[in-house]
Amino acid sequence: MFELLEDAGFARVRSAVVPGFRFKKKATQNSAEAFGVKAVMLTATKPAAV
Amino acid sequence: MNSAESQAGLEAVLKDEILRMYQEVADNPEADFHFHHGREAAELFGYDPTWLDEAPAGAVASFAGVGNPLERADLKPGETVLDLGSGAGLDAILAARRVGPSGRVIGVDLNPAMCLKAQAHAAATGVGMECHEGRMEEIPLPDDSVDCVLSNGVINLSFRKRRVMEEMYRVLRPGGRISITDIVSARQLSQSIVNDPRLWAS
Repeated sequence: MFELLEDAGFARVRSAVVPGFRFKKKATQNSAEAFGVKAVMLTATKPAAV
Repeated sequence: MNSAESQAGLEAVLKDEILRMYQEVADNPEADFHFHHGREAAELFGYDPTWLDEAPAGAVASFAGVGNPLERADLKPGETVLDLGSGAGLDAILAARRVGPSGRVIGVDLNPAMCLKAQAHAAATGVGMECHEGRMEEIPLPDDSVDCVLSNGVINLSFRKRRVMEEMYRVLRPGGRISITDIVSARQLSQSIVNDPRLWAS
């Protein structure tokens, strides 16, 4: 998503992992970890008009 | 069937599955889901308990986000905010409190029933919120009309994420911003997951 935001024209794209996110069911959490699934917070800005 | 037709068919099935799953969260918040939801999830992600006490119980119980996009949104009185995938309306209601009566909060949701529910929750709280049925790939708002886009755990559901990013960019005013929380995967999901609407929607 980070790259997609930059490709769309967004500037100052920032990301951070959401602390505490996890799936409720152990099996789902295990599968998520195997795929490197995590929750992130993303912020970005549409550049001001020149 | 060509690949575009195939994807369109899969998207239609996915839409139905997303509607079904999140309607279930809204209708039966006490049910057991594989993700945390409701007040338990909101507190896990750092929502202020005082806010949650003041929000409508139905909006809190149906919360199905993956983080707290309000945390870094820095909303100011008078701003126009779009909540993309507004669900039962918790984030939109909390945003409406921050932008105040001079501001405007607009929800967009795939499910018209959820829009009605979110608006009812907002009205019960005494804040203004409008909600439009629509897809995040075709946001039903004009260009350059929004100061901040919030979204919480819905963009990952789209097959056309690039399009979603372009749409958020389009509706934002120059200098506007996004604050979103969502699920990402470090590895490419297997084709069996991509082709299974139930897994994709979850």
